[in-house]
Amino acid sequence: MSPCRPRRGERPVATSEEIAEAYADWRARSNENERLKKMVRGWDRRVHLSTTDTAEGYTLEVRDQVLSQLYPGHVGQPDLIVTGSSEDFCDMFWGDLNPSAKYMSGEITLAGSQEDVMRLDAISMVAFLDQ
Amino acid sequence: MTTEPGGTGPVTPAVGPPGATHPVTSHGGAALRRALGLRTVVSTSTGLAFAALEYLAAAGLVAYVAGDSAWIAIGTAGLLALLAWGFFGELNGMFPTAAAIRLYMKRSMDDRVALIITFTYMTTIILVIAADAFIVGSALSHAFNEPTWVAAIWIVGLLALAVGANLRGVHVAGGVQDVATYIVLAATLVIASAALLRSHAALRYPLQPLHGHHGTDFIEAVALGVFLYSAFEWVTTSAEEVRHPAHVHRGMLIAVGLLFVVCSVATVAMSHVLTHHQLTSAYPQLYLGQATFGQAGLWAMAAVTAVTALNTFNGGFITASRFVYGTAREGSLPRQLALLNDRAVPWVPVVALGAVSLVVALVVALTHGWQVLVAVGAALEAMIYCVAALCTVRLRTRAPDHHRPFRVRGLRVLGVVGVGLFGVLALVASVSVENKFNPVPLVIIAVAAALSAWYVLRVLPRVQAREAARRAATPRRRPPRPGTSATGPPPSVAS
Repeated sequence: MSPCRPRRGERPVATSEEIAEAYADWRARSNENERLKKMVRGWDRRVHLSTTDTAEGYTLEVRDQVLSQLYPGHVGQPDLIVTGSSEDFCDMFWGDLNPSAKYMSGEITLAGSQEDVMRLDAISMVAFLDQ
Repeated sequence: MTTEPGGTGPVTPAVGPPGATHPVTSHGGAALRRALGLRTVVSTSTGLAFAALEYLAAAGLVAYVAGDSAWIAIGTAGLLALLAWGFFGELNGMFPTAAAIRLYMKRSMDDRVALIITFTYMTTIILVIAADAFIVGSALSHAFNEPTWVAAIWIVGLLALAVGANLRGVHVAGGVQDVATYIVLAATLVIASAALLRSHAALRYPLQPLHGHHGTDFIEAVALGVFLYSAFEWVTTSAEEVRHPAHVHRGMLIAVGLLFVVCSVATVAMSHVLTHHQLTSAYPQLYLGQATFGQAGLWAMAAVTAVTALNTFNGGFITASRFVYGTAREGSLPRQLALLNDRAVPWVPVVALGAVSLVVALVVALTHGWQVLVAVGAALEAMIYCVAALCTVRLRTRAPDHHRPFRVRGLRVLGVVGVGLFGVLALVASVSVENKFNPVPLVIIAVAAALSAWYVLRVLPRVQAREAARRAATPRRRPPRPGTSATGPPPSVAS
């Protein structure tokens, strides 16, 4: 499937393949990061992702300090729900976008405990900046 | 569709994790596995407001009105809290997120002004943590019959414990918080009611708040009364973790009712059975317990005071440090404030908050100026209620089509009333300590505001410029789409 190319004036959207490719990169970086493994020790959670522009859903899990693959659709009961545009998810997984800034501007919305939100943001930050 | 690790193309759908069915919530998504119910929302809202400082504020209020009718001033302040509840209800409905204060202020006014107000308001959290450390330290020192200076050791120990627990990622679970808050409320209500019943003296002026006082005293009492409800709105930061969005709104309303009942009974009881010296001490609640049930009552209230600190330290440290972390990640504070330890805790804000609170608490212990803290807190709280009223009014014009699950009726009138009343109360509270003119609270607020303004206007542009340079120097990792430029359009906000 070819990437979705926007018409003039339209906002671009990322296809599920693009999101999956970006996620795979993010997952590999995260699972290889020893510091991140310490940070998610004992933090077994299920996360639902929802795209606002393409109306798609995804599920990911952190279990035993390992980030799972990306499952299509919303599977099971989540601990955390993240809603944003497909482009934002794609950029976030590639490490090109700071999800916190998008969250503070209201473009990414979340449902879940503040602690879980912190951990998820920590994954996105440490995976790329190693802070 | 999904990919295997390291894969680049679409592959067959993966087999999902177990438990593929999920109930659907009112907000359209699956129900969260761990969500807060109404009971926890009420306990959070009430617990954040009912800090140890509450007893000192209640006792201090007696200086402004005839003690037996203190409940009238508290009730009037409660009506104002209901007005604030309406504003926060509408704003929280529009922005049901922990970042709501940033969102509604940013969209109502210039972002620099919004940041200055927000940073100034965050001073309240430092004051409340410092005040609670001081009060609990003093109360424990008194209960153990130790010399006054030992309170300083208790203060250092309590704050070190709070910082250590936060750095280790230890949090009070919702269930524990429920139990702690309801025990504090029930114990205070029982002991205060028993104090009234056992005093064998009828109330003298239950309906004459101005007996022996001026009208301006009543206004000052109401300004102080607003402080008794302060922080009930902090529960809006839990909007993302509730089972139903309306729980936040309902929970705040119930919390205001609970606070009115408990604070009224406690204040009237203290005014009835305590001497002036006891009322102006750092632990009037211990004297209340002692007057009611002797030494057992004193120990009971000492334990209750310690439990209030559990909520304050837990809620205060988490709220403030996570806000600072989020603001630093957003780029409005230096990046160092977003550094995480191995438990994913933003350790710099936690340590800084503990250190600043310790200094403030020790200064209060040396100067005995806790009523100044109460006045500063009351003024800042009235200020933020005034700002909430202003934001609600402005957003009705700037974002008329934004979804509002809850709307304040008659906002055209109530908005103006809210801005005016809370503005006046903020000013009154900032220049009055223990029924005397005292500009120290105003000076403290002005210094906090000046520091915030200096940072936002002078330092922040440099922080943002550095951040922009770092972003520009970081190449995009996302591969370009076919037919687009090599680097592609830059993302709006880079990591």
